[in-house]
Amino acid sequence: MFDEIDPRSPTPLYDQIASRVRVAVASGDFRPGESLPSVRGLATRLRVNPATVVQAYRALEQEGFVEMRQGAGTYVREVAEERRGRERDEQALRMVRDLLADAARFGIGADAIASALRQELRSEAP
Amino acid sequence: MMFRQVLYTQWKWSAWAVVTTAVAAFTLPLVSVQRAGANTEATDVLYLLGDVAGVGYMYPFLAVAAGITIALLTWAPDHAGRHVYALSLPVPRWYYALLRYGAGTLLLVPTMLALWIGALVATSSATIPQGLDAYPTAIAFRFALATLFGFSMFFALAAGTVRTAIIALGVAPTAIIVTNQIIISFGGPNLVWTALEYLIRLPGPMELLFEPWMLINV
Amino acid sequence: MSNAIETRDLVYRAGTTFEITDLALNVPTGSIYGFLGPNGSGKTTTIRLLLGLLRPVRGRIQVVGRQVPREAHLMLARTGYVPERPHLYPTLTIDEAMRFHAAFYPTWDTKWADELLVTFRLDRSRRVGKMSKGETGKFMMLLALAQRPELLILDEPTDGLDPVVRREVLMALIEYVAERQATVFISSHLVHELERFCNWVGVLDNGRLVAELPMHAFKNGIKRLRVHHPPSTPGDTPFVLLSREAGDGLSAGEVWVVRGWQATMSQYFDGIGAQLREVVDLDLEEGFVEMLRTFRHPVEVHS
Repeated sequence: MFDEIDPRSPTPLYDQIASRVRVAVASGDFRPGESLPSVRGLATRLRVNPATVVQAYRALEQEGFVEMRQGAGTYVREVAEERRGRERDEQALRMVRDLLADAARFGIGADAIASALRQELRSEAP
Repeated sequence: MMFRQVLYTQWKWSAWAVVTTAVAAFTLPLVSVQRAGANTEATDVLYLLGDVAGVGYMYPFLAVAAGITIALLTWAPDHAGRHVYALSLPVPRWYYALLRYGAGTLLLVPTMLALWIGALVATSSATIPQGLDAYPTAIAFRFALATLFGFSMFFALAAGTVRTAIIALGVAPTAIIVTNQIIISFGGPNLVWTALEYLIRLPGPMELLFEPWMLINV
Repeated sequence: MSNAIETRDLVYRAGTTFEITDLALNVPTGSIYGFLGPNGSGKTTTIRLLLGLLRPVRGRIQVVGRQVPREAHLMLARTGYVPERPHLYPTLTIDEAMRFHAAFYPTWDTKWADELLVTFRLDRSRRVGKMSKGETGKFMMLLALAQRPELLILDEPTDGLDPVVRREVLMALIEYVAERQATVFISSHLVHELERFCNWVGVLDNGRLVAELPMHAFKNGIKRLRVHHPPSTPGDTPFVLLSREAGDGLSAGEVWVVRGWQATMSQYFDGIGAQLREVVDLDLEEGFVEMLRTFRHPVEVHS
């Protein structure tokens, strides 16, 4: 899950790490009470500055997704369903933005994307 | 703790030299007594003394050779790395040099002891003619000083760069001798010889080395 | 103290060439500072000056609060150093070299040193002089880390190492930093591996410090823009135009390299009748190359 951190992206590394946790909590992949990887472990695995991981975890703590327990690690908190729903919606929005930006690079307009989306959803419908 | 490690590493890379010089130091007095005794006219005291003096040149030679060898071996591994490791250690340079000096001195002790023991053994087992005495301890003491002298002289040189060593050992003396010769050719005095003669007379390292080494004497 | 390493007006000369000129380094405590520069720019010379191995002609050097070279040995007790070329006594075995080193550092952690030996798969009885490049690289890092220093000065520590070993060395380093919050000053011309890891960057070119700033500012600062129908003279740009070149054959238009780009600046292109096709983020290496290029040959953009 954490392995595709991209140092090239304009999104700061700590934010990339934090988003992945946000999305995982929103989708239920991370359950309340579960512990996140240790700062040391994650930093070593991703080969990033440990301060970056700390920054990510702190940001998540401020947003109410996790709590950092002194000496014991970082644990996922109970997040209200509506909050998780909002996070999922925001993630969907982010994915669409990325898709549209990619498309624009190839000269593909929003209309073409929209009709492609409709076509795809129709074929998926039961 | 630091000294122990410095001593251990120096022993590791000088062990062969320590053993060799110690063995040589042990056998030297035996050889010198044997040489003297080979002369069957042992009653001719003058011949005996002459033989003893003849071998005597070996003592300062061995002493200084041992000192120089240990001095060179002390710094050889540092030269390989251009002293970077030693300079990156958290001790002042002079302190590190002092540790090395102490370790080097300690490694010369076996050789000094070997000579003393060899001299004792040689003179106790030999028959010394009437009117002569053996001086094993005196010669051992003198040997120890000469070794230390050789070691100290070369310790500083060995620690420096190759360039300074060449200057100190080659260029400087050559320049002195050449200048001296020029002065002589112009009818001036032989300054170098006068200086050497004077130095030998003074009590000190020169006298130590150049006065005859007599294991057995009057 | 806020800066683990600080230099002011540092000048060094070897022979007739000034190798280092007016160097003012500021390495914040607790940062991981990447010291970048092309080969021959003076990185190793700078490091030697910081450690007191070389004497500067002029200038002030302060490392972990100590004046160098005057108090160098006090500073060295708290600084771990990995040199570019191995400097250990070659006839010692790994075990002997470790014991020798440990005797000089009161903060040496024997337990961790033994653990690192196992992690790095090093053989105690191996002679230092007979180790492969990879083993030497790992061993030097081991010696620097087991000392538990508050500052690590690493001169191209992964140069010449294969990717597997490089990763092992970096991971041990990161583990230490996570635990100890040590400051790391790492010089490298292998820019890729530094960009995930460093949060500060200093760029050296020809003995001068060209730039010194936080990593995110350095990376986000420089972008490559793909511009269609560009104007012949750009006029006043809201960003700093570093260079412009014809695009590669795939598309018409030009490639502009700019500094200080913000997303809202795309309006500028609408205003001049050009089309901004793409904004490309540069990785650290490309940003570094572009910065050097423009520093060496400043571009005249306003006619």
